[in-house]
Amino acid sequence: MDFRWDLIEQYAPFFLKGTLLTIGFSIAAIILGTILGLLIGLGKMMRNKAAALPFTWYINLFRGTPLMVQILLIHFGVIPLILGETNAIVAAITALSLNSAAYTAEIFRAGIQSIDKGQMEAARSLGMSHVQAMRYVILPQAFKRMIPPLGNEFIVLIKDSSLAQIIAAPELMYWGKAMQGQYMRAWEPYLTTAFIYLVLTLSLNFLLSRLERRLATE
Amino acid sequence: MKKTKLLLTVIIALFLMILSACGTSKTSGTANTTGAEKKTLRIVTDASYAPFEYQDKGDVVGFDVDFVKAVGKAAGYNVNVEHVGWDPVFVEIKGKTADAAISAITITDDRKQTYDFSIPYFLSKNEILIPQNSDIKSAQDLKGKVVAVQNGTTGQDAVEAIIGKNNSNLKKFDNNNLAILELKGGGAAAVVADNSVVETYVKNNPNDHFKFIEDDAAFKKEFYGIMFPKGSKLKAEFDKAIKKVISDGTYEKLYQKWFKTEPDLKTIEAQQQ
Repeated sequence: MDFRWDLIEQYAPFFLKGTLLTIGFSIAAIILGTILGLLIGLGKMMRNKAAALPFTWYINLFRGTPLMVQILLIHFGVIPLILGETNAIVAAITALSLNSAAYTAEIFRAGIQSIDKGQMEAARSLGMSHVQAMRYVILPQAFKRMIPPLGNEFIVLIKDSSLAQIIAAPELMYWGKAMQGQYMRAWEPYLTTAFIYLVLTLSLNFLLSRLERRLATE
Repeated sequence: MKKTKLLLTVIIALFLMILSACGTSKTSGTANTTGAEKKTLRIVTDASYAPFEYQDKGDVVGFDVDFVKAVGKAAGYNVNVEHVGWDPVFVEIKGKTADAAISAITITDDRKQTYDFSIPYFLSKNEILIPQNSDIKSAQDLKGKVVAVQNGTTGQDAVEAIIGKNNSNLKKFDNNNLAILELKGGGAAAVVADNSVVETYVKNNPNDHFKFIEDDAAFKKEFYGIMFPKGSKLKAEFDKAIKKVISDGTYEKLYQKWFKTEPDLKTIEAQQQ
């Protein structure tokens, strides 16, 4: 198979720009999604069933529908209502954060519920309030257990950000598609973008495993 | 230990089988060796471009489909049109896993370097779709404006010729529907696409208050062709068959059926010389 390296060279500046945007998207969505996910996860765990219901349905909706549809809806429907016109970058970050929040909410819930009930009882008997016990005793322990599934979620999020090309957000996959459209060649752009995604996810993996090691107690 | 080794061997063997299956030509299965029976050609398309080719409850239909079937019949072949998507069309033809492709593909010099094309069978040109109150009067007015196009189309090339390649004001979408949605959402000032797409949209959606403008100086006439792998023997047979289908009136009938107007046969035939 003839592989045209010179074409990749021509598109390198665009791949670089696209990679930077993909990183930007992903970081913004990871941060927003984690914060939102924590709140939603705590919301779903509320004792009051009626109050927990909206959070449960948030998770059902965002986890149960295709991300591509969510991106299209937010880009063409929601963002024009708020900003007056479409904006691919805002739409992509919004959709990715909202979607990721649904998954991280469940990761938080699983992490918190995996901590033995005795921990909460012990903290309360020391005179801590429920919030204090959560903040100083439960969450730090739960967080350690949540790192691997969170890492999973972040990696999926980085790759899913490629779906933003459907609304012409000029991220990595968009430039891959653009290159494909220009030269009518599939493997040069797609293998190059795949390789860059691999480098991104491997880097994230490395950071997460360092974090895990630092938090290890044994 | 032995078990893991066996498992590993099986996995590797499976992997190799899958890999080798990817490499073999899929058309070899459909080729008829008896000679007496007609050979069935595998023709690929991206069935998302009505009325040229689209899926009607799972069946691939449209002008291109009817046309290529008529041409195939005239050349003495059975024709099987299959929807594979726009990118895979080019992969399949390049890898020779399909015999030909028809998908409103414009014949360009760039594409001719990698593929063979039949003589032209369709005349088309790009037009600009804009809101009725837009101040855009010609293609030159697109400078400095955000323009939405379908990725990889000649509409994109035409706009890039005016505003520059990979200009950040150019938004490339997977298909024209999304580009037009972007125009409706206010994210673009204009869409540049084939006349059949633009005019059909304006006609079918009067509530959007869009209009279209032509610019013959900026947008050249384009011709669609049937695409073959480089060096395909089919090209000569199909060229002859296309001429036959046009001269016996079949082409005009199909054109009427799908576009409800008369074809500009003179321009097309002049291009076929």
